Amino acid sequence: MSALPGIPRIALTWLLVAQLLVILPHLLHLPLWVIALWLGAAGWRVQIFRMRARYPNGWAKGGLMLVVLAGVLLSRGTLVGLDAAVVLLIATFILKLLEMRTRRDALVLIFLGFFCVVTAYLFEDGIVAALYSLLPVTALLAALVGLQHSGFAERPWPTLRLAGGLLLQALPLMLLLFVFFPRMGPLWSLPMPSDKGVTGLSDSMEPADIAELSRSSALAFRASFEGPVPPRDQLYWRALTLERFDGRRWSQSNYAELPSAPQWRKAGEPLDYSIVMQPSGKPWLFALDVGEVAQNESRMMTDFRWQRRRPVDRPLLYQARSWPQALREADAEPPALRRALQLPEQGDPRSRAWAAELQREHPQAEALVAALLQHFNREPYVYTLRPQPLGRDSIDEFLFDTRRGFCAHYAGAMTFVLRAAGIPARVVTGYQGGELNPGGNYIQVRQFDAHAWVEYWQPEQGWRSVDPTYQVAPQRIELGLEDALGEEDGFLDDQPFSPLRYRELAWLNQLRLGWENLNYGWQRWVLGYQGEQQLKLLHNWFGNLDWQRLALALVGSGTLLIGLLALWLLKPWQQRADPQRQAFRRFERLLARHGVRRQAGEGARAFAERAGRELPAQAPAIQAFARCFEAQRYAGQPASRAALRQALGELRRALPWRLLR
Amino acid sequence: MRAALKPLWGRWLARRIPPAASVRLNQRRIFILPSRVGAAFAVALLLMLLVGINYQNSLAYGLTFLLMSVFVVAILHTYRNLAGLVLKAGGGGAVFVGEQARFRVRLESREREHQAVALGWPPNELVLRDVPRLGQAEADLSLPAVRRGWLRPGRLRVESRFPLGLLVAWSWVDLDQALLIYPRPLEGDLPLSVGLGAEDEEEGMRARGRGADDFQGLRDYQPGDSKRRLDWKAYSRGQGLLVKDFAMLSGRDLWLDYDSLGGDSEMRLSLLCHWVLQLSERQQPFGLQLPGQVIAPDQGEGHRDACLRALALFGERP
Repeated sequence: MSALPGIPRIALTWLLVAQLLVILPHLLHLPLWVIALWLGAAGWRVQIFRMRARYPNGWAKGGLMLVVLAGVLLSRGTLVGLDAAVVLLIATFILKLLEMRTRRDALVLIFLGFFCVVTAYLFEDGIVAALYSLLPVTALLAALVGLQHSGFAERPWPTLRLAGGLLLQALPLMLLLFVFFPRMGPLWSLPMPSDKGVTGLSDSMEPADIAELSRSSALAFRASFEGPVPPRDQLYWRALTLERFDGRRWSQSNYAELPSAPQWRKAGEPLDYSIVMQPSGKPWLFALDVGEVAQNESRMMTDFRWQRRRPVDRPLLYQARSWPQALREADAEPPALRRALQLPEQGDPRSRAWAAELQREHPQAEALVAALLQHFNREPYVYTLRPQPLGRDSIDEFLFDTRRGFCAHYAGAMTFVLRAAGIPARVVTGYQGGELNPGGNYIQVRQFDAHAWVEYWQPEQGWRSVDPTYQVAPQRIELGLEDALGEEDGFLDDQPFSPLRYRELAWLNQLRLGWENLNYGWQRWVLGYQGEQQLKLLHNWFGNLDWQRLALALVGSGTLLIGLLALWLLKPWQQRADPQRQAFRRFERLLARHGVRRQAGEGARAFAERAGRELPAQAPAIQAFARCFEAQRYAGQPASRAALRQALGELRRALPWRLLR
Repeated sequence: MRAALKPLWGRWLARRIPPAASVRLNQRRIFILPSRVGAAFAVALLLMLLVGINYQNSLAYGLTFLLMSVFVVAILHTYRNLAGLVLKAGGGGAVFVGEQARFRVRLESREREHQAVALGWPPNELVLRDVPRLGQAEADLSLPAVRRGWLRPGRLRVESRFPLGLLVAWSWVDLDQALLIYPRPLEGDLPLSVGLGAEDEEEGMRARGRGADDFQGLRDYQPGDSKRRLDWKAYSRGQGLLVKDFAMLSGRDLWLDYDSLGGDSEMRLSLLCHWVLQLSERQQPFGLQLPGQVIAPDQGEGHRDACLRALALFGERP
């Protein structure tokens, strides 16, 4: 088969179908001209098949490649990097269609197709994407079957059924491999797709930033507690602290990057939970205060935040344990406190004056904080997603003029006043609350749960958290953003199709929660099944991890699976044994019992004649069987099991009865 | 190394798959290995696995494992496509050197259908056949006949790559087939001899026997004479219907004699072959003398075949 046979029609059909199915999910992140390229190439290929067009010559191919390169350069701005590489890969996949002449070309195309399916996973790896990808894979396998030169492979549906059947039969073994195959870390680091829209907190905060986040219903993370879920108003998921203020923007201090863990004392009952984080493109992890995170390559930084060495660019699962009543940095050092007192030289004079006044009235820090909170509670402050824009002295304007703001406004203003009054304070950002999914007993935290609050420091008490937003809009903390905003404000206004908008429809909400549940399971058990997660699961199943035992289990159960499949496919019990030979063997055994044994190489007739001589009384019956056997076996008479059996029966009756030895 | 292993391999095969006119393929007789396409597939899977590892992407792992498993499952399917197939020698007619020897092989299904079964003798192209369930298919395999004598084609390769082409399952089957190859007919002088052991009574006979044209004797056509023996040239000259007659030697038998010819033995056999065919066609009785072997004068199909067989096997061990 070394010659290069052409491509059967059926294989071409399946290739075109498969190609369409492979490219479809890529269209979400591919430039649109790729569709035109595919339509053109497919049309051209069909015309070639109908002998109405010719294969492109070298010039045409070169020209097309240049056009593609130019297209990638125009739409991606570069020819390197993952995004450009994927466009190039798909374009190659499409153009290969045009120069596909032989079976070998078709094979290249099919293998390229499998690879393109894998690259699509880098952009989308939900349940839907995974299930969908079975379609192109089936079509590619059908094309592979169609390349076989058989009458069977010329029919479309049988090829498809066979391809689907192969996939189904492969499924158990695949699950086995998935569970047991050892996962290792990346061999070399690769760029991640930049198109993957990542929203989330950033390391600096202008008052409007968090309001921007609250327009997004995208998932930030999910957390499942081992015990009961704490009440909503205790769920302050810390991400990081902002210590530097430039008059307008709060940002992280450089010092926070230093990896020197702060001292703290455990107190009270710990909370145990696990978190599956969505990719954020940022290195920090979320935890309740004060959390301990069990994650390789991550550590607690000076401001109690947890940080990983690499950014979280794929879903990440980690275990955490928190002590909500812990005492944090009871004896902080002066430089740290100085950083928590930093203010711009100038600006916001009214706020500074008010802070001085408060300080005079309340020499005790606790009293001052209480007074400040009371101020927010009593005065007509409004919690809104659409605050008015603020001018140069943003704190002043917010505190005394507009009095409309979002959590970032309140946290920023409070921290400013505390600092101005000589109390070390800083802004903490993270998420607050989350939606409890009753089906799975876990909390889902979305981007619109992003929050900012305040923590201040007092000798011997260390850092204490306080949330000014609670004073203005307690519903925000107790119920969530939607309830806090009420009718007035546009919750998810620009996401008309978000199922979150239709929560009042009970059945729809049920459906949505069920779907979320499924997705969570998918993430925990499929997407998150890497490294530690795998070790943990295998440890639960097999006790002490012993790679030898695991390998044995894998090989053993794999062999078992394949054996079962082989039994089912080959059905050895159905293989009809040769009935004539069976009858002859019975005939031999019968005579052997009477002392006549067939010698090696003795034919049926010779044996029967000899037996007839030794048992003359039964000679006719013996001859009759032998004739019947010979007629069926060698003279081409129709095989009849019944005739043989009858002849054998007569012989048995003719022989004297004998005890079996 | 390969050459050294070859006889060993042949002996092992002969023990495992002994020659027989009907062979059923089973697990003792079927070998299976990845094909070149399968190797390329494995490379593609490796690349996919690298994507899975480097991007820590579970779905990439998943698809890689799925296709790996498909590969494993395909082993069973490829094996199944050959298993249970029965091959039977279907005979074939004798041919002359230089022609294509055709062997007929019958493929029978006892249980399931067998798709795209390829069979043949490897340097030659394999022939593809589908065998329907409980049905049969026939394949005519041809081999060039290069040497007279028995043509034993050796072990027949039966292979299948169905369904995916990733693996090739094959067997080497000896259907114990052999075809007789006659020498290539070569036109030339009629090698006559007067008779076995007879003293030359008629001196001129051999001289007149030189060349076919000289030899022709003609007599009037009588109903019942073969039309092939009509002398059309004479007829066109207006001499009436005449029949070419060899019977002028009647009374004496016509002997084709190996020893009366010159040249090497193959050439002599070729000339004899030509005349065996010619004389048989003209329904002329003749005898054949070969060194150590004499076939008495006779005519008819059986006689011709016996003579050709003697020519084909001349000098070979029986």
